[in-house]
Amino acid sequence: MWRATVKGVLAHKLRLGLTALAIVLGVMFVSGTLILTDTLHATFDSLFANVYQNVSFVVRGHAAFTGNGGAVRNPIPESVAASVRVVPGVAAANGTASGYAQFVSHDGKAVTTGGAPTIGTSFDPNPSLSALKLRQGTAPTTPHQVVVDAGTASKYHFRVGEQVRILLMGPSETFTISGIAQFGTANNLAGATIAAFWLPTAQQLFNRVGQYDTVNVLAAPGADKAQVQRAIARTLPPGVEVVTGQTVADEQASTINNALGFFSTALLIFAFIALFVGGFTIFNTFSIIVGQRTRELALLRILGASRRQVFRSVLAEAAIVGLVASLVGLGLGVLAAVGLQALLKGFGITLPSNGLVFQTRTVVAALVVGVGVTVVSAISPARRAVRIAPMAAISDQVAETDQSSRRRVVTGSLLLAGGAVLLGIGLTAPAIQLVGVGAVAVFLGVGMLAPLVARPMSSAIGRPLAALLGPSGKLGRENSMRSPKRTAQTSAALMVGLALVSTIAVFGASLSRSATASIDQAVRADYIVTSGGAGGPATQMSDSVATTAATIPGVTAVTTVYTGQFLLGDSVATLGGVTTPQLSRTINLRMQSGSGEQALADGQLLIDTTTAEAKHLVVGASEKVTFARTGATSIRIGGIYEPNAVFGSYLVSGRYFAEHFDNPLPVAVLITAAGGTSASAQDAVRTGLTPYPNVKVQTQAEFKQTQQAQVNQLLGIVYVLLALAVLIALIGIVNTLMLSVFERTHEIGLLRAVGMRRRQVRAMIRSEAVILSIFGAIIGLVLGTGLGVALSAALKKQGITDIVIPYSNLVVFLVIAALLGLAAASWPARRAAKLDVLAAIAAE
Amino acid sequence: MAITDAGDHAAPPRTAAARTVDLVKTYGTGEARVDALAGVTVAIERAKFTAVMGPSGSGKSTLMHCMAGLDAPTSGQVFVGDEEIQRLDDAGLTRLRRDRIGFVFQSFNLVPTLTAKENILLPSDLAGRDVDQAWFDHLVDQLAIRDRLDHLPKELSGGQQQRIACARALVGRPDLVFADEPTGNLDSNSSSEVLGFLRRSVDDFGQTIAMVTHDPRGAAHADRVVFLADGLVVADLQAPTADAILEQMKALST
Repeated sequence: MWRATVKGVLAHKLRLGLTALAIVLGVMFVSGTLILTDTLHATFDSLFANVYQNVSFVVRGHAAFTGNGGAVRNPIPESVAASVRVVPGVAAANGTASGYAQFVSHDGKAVTTGGAPTIGTSFDPNPSLSALKLRQGTAPTTPHQVVVDAGTASKYHFRVGEQVRILLMGPSETFTISGIAQFGTANNLAGATIAAFWLPTAQQLFNRVGQYDTVNVLAAPGADKAQVQRAIARTLPPGVEVVTGQTVADEQASTINNALGFFSTALLIFAFIALFVGGFTIFNTFSIIVGQRTRELALLRILGASRRQVFRSVLAEAAIVGLVASLVGLGLGVLAAVGLQALLKGFGITLPSNGLVFQTRTVVAALVVGVGVTVVSAISPARRAVRIAPMAAISDQVAETDQSSRRRVVTGSLLLAGGAVLLGIGLTAPAIQLVGVGAVAVFLGVGMLAPLVARPMSSAIGRPLAALLGPSGKLGRENSMRSPKRTAQTSAALMVGLALVSTIAVFGASLSRSATASIDQAVRADYIVTSGGAGGPATQMSDSVATTAATIPGVTAVTTVYTGQFLLGDSVATLGGVTTPQLSRTINLRMQSGSGEQALADGQLLIDTTTAEAKHLVVGASEKVTFARTGATSIRIGGIYEPNAVFGSYLVSGRYFAEHFDNPLPVAVLITAAGGTSASAQDAVRTGLTPYPNVKVQTQAEFKQTQQAQVNQLLGIVYVLLALAVLIALIGIVNTLMLSVFERTHEIGLLRAVGMRRRQVRAMIRSEAVILSIFGAIIGLVLGTGLGVALSAALKKQGITDIVIPYSNLVVFLVIAALLGLAAASWPARRAAKLDVLAAIAAE
Repeated sequence: MAITDAGDHAAPPRTAAARTVDLVKTYGTGEARVDALAGVTVAIERAKFTAVMGPSGSGKSTLMHCMAGLDAPTSGQVFVGDEEIQRLDDAGLTRLRRDRIGFVFQSFNLVPTLTAKENILLPSDLAGRDVDQAWFDHLVDQLAIRDRLDHLPKELSGGQQQRIACARALVGRPDLVFADEPTGNLDSNSSSEVLGFLRRSVDDFGQTIAMVTHDPRGAAHADRVVFLADGLVVADLQAPTADAILEQMKALST
């Protein structure tokens, strides 16, 4: 039996090869993701270990709480360094101060990083303690010197002795480059730029006069480290702690690794989508193969193969295909990881190259996932193979039982209903795992029920084709109608692909519309000034932008917007701060109760209605809040406003924000001008803000476009990732059509014999493919639109206030699906047209 | 394995390798009802070559399918040896076919992906059993297929394919070989080769063979011809000649 199985696989290399391609792509995705993230993990682990290898201890403020970006800590008094320095066993103890510092390149543009931070820090003159190793020049020893990281220096051609302008929290300043340093063994820290100043300068620039962020301690050689740590701890004032350098290295690596974990989870989700779609393709192929091998399998049964042997032979065939495909996918995954690494380098993220990390886990995951998906997908066809009666080998009329189709309808309905319930629960909870399981169940359910509508829908879709193409179109239409089950199975993979694509399209359109709607509702300002980086909270701008803007002639109102994390009760939340004078001229808060600007000016908290309802908060109530800098305090709720995605759920005044946050930097500055957005007013505002080359001045209309563009960019990435799933679905269609052509050799020969031309044969196969694709696409689009609406509705509280169905996009998807179907048909159609008429008729 | 090499079975009380008692097989219901077998009681004698003949639709193929456990009768009994096969479940029937019955079909029914040799060894492969090498060699030589063993079925002529199928049917020394129109797709030369081989295997080794055919000259190789018409046994000729068979057929068609 084993021999027959292996021979069977070898004999069906072509059709199994196409099937395997689906698994190859999925496994490539999985293993590539794992290899890349393992490599990045190892890189960051060794990077931070390297940086802190000489630092014995770090003295720092206690974490008030841990927010989304890691622990939030307060600075410590300067005197701590002096008292630590005299502890026996301490060789050196130097303070550090860091904050925002962004270089301006020689051509006057702000140096941007593509997401990595722009770090300003103090330069530690003790080479044993410093993470920065001087490569050229000297350490900064005057207020006007700076050391630049080697990565930035080489990219922007900064040389020792040159002048460089640096954007800071306050006004920008010009420094002389005294040296160029590398970060540990790397040119820079994963793409971040580093400006290192003389310590007193750093303290001044980063608002740390009399304070340090940390004190780095070097233990004397031979000292008992545990003892030294205890001795240091005894000298520390309350709110200050001492930890080992290793601890800090681990913490920093794990912060980055957590972010990487998110990245790898996202990639793996798409990998599993691809494999899921691949599963449909495999299921379909094996169903057809079992159908075509009915006689052979029945013969085996006559000759004494038990049901179990037949079942195992089909599964073994799947396992062989899955294994070979997984191995190929694994190999390609290594290449994919290399490619992605090169891509990262292209984005300016230069990492110390440690070589790819290829863990056993990656191999195991790739093989388990690849073989598992293939075998699981083949179970149902294998069970069908088992039901083949031995008589099928010698008799043509062995009717397929109707029982299986009834059971399919029942199972399909149950899966659909159960999946919908899980989706509902998952979306409202929210629980992403439930959403995933629910979606899988819904897709399986719809896939099982689709045969019910396949015949009428194929008929309707095929009608115009039949009218257009005459007999070829008509035959294509009839072919797609005659086996509704196969039509539905073939298009199932495409259905899933398009369902996901349209879910994202609906969600994206809703997100985009909601974002612009909330800007319309909430922003009255003519101009919105943001930092010019690639976006995200990492990019910052000087706090003096607002003061500069206020001096521009014609500007009538300026509001600075801050955001930071705080504890409301016991939960971490994001707090917005807006400067209060002339607030109503830049912002429309749409108060539901209480007062807006006045309450802010009085140091009260504003919350939105969603939060008020969820947390049962009312105007006048007093809430416990905790800030990293000032600790626990209470604040009165002064008003409740309508939810708005621009400002979030909690607002205080800029003054209150500055009192409770350390070195707040604006995320946006809102400007209203007497001349509105007239050309002259625009010119004045832009000219007025030229000292800040990192900021982007946008009119409200431009800002909305940017927001939409960001959403579209995100959608673009998602579409690209989903394209793989659609590609796999297409492979499935190619495969099915090929199998159909083999199967109908005799029939096609007959058509040719009675006068059908090659061109007409091709048209017939193509018609069938187009009908299949449109059928799958329509079901997918309807399903996806429903899922998209559900997803958007579930995120109403998160700011998706408008639900938009992008009909034009959906129509475009439908057309693309039809064209892809046409493309998928080209090879099978050529093959069918090439059939030798005589041989085809002779074929049994 | 409960049922081992059936060739060594202790001699049963009856001389029949297989027999049916009042076998009825009905297809369809109502207007479309067809009685393929209307109560057939027949025995296939051990170590004899029995031919089953009859016009199209007489039920001869159905009889064979029921006796081989491929089709379930509507009523009546089928015994293979002294085992009543309706009592067997699917696994039991599978073992019965695998260990005690050999098949030769009109359309050869070789597995296209396997070589001739692999096809011959397939039943013992399925059973996980070693083949009797001497017996295998003997069959291969008798059938003159040694130089064809490594070929795929599509590389063989019809006659060669059917000889491979004969080897496959006999290599496990089954109690009984069912041959369903074995010469239906063959030219006269190949037909005589196959029939001659079947005849010799009965004479030389005591093989039991039941063959469905509508070729009088083929049936003349048999020790006995059972005639079926409209689902009933209508005649039973011993040691038939081709002429006697033709006579009988003429009598049936009038």
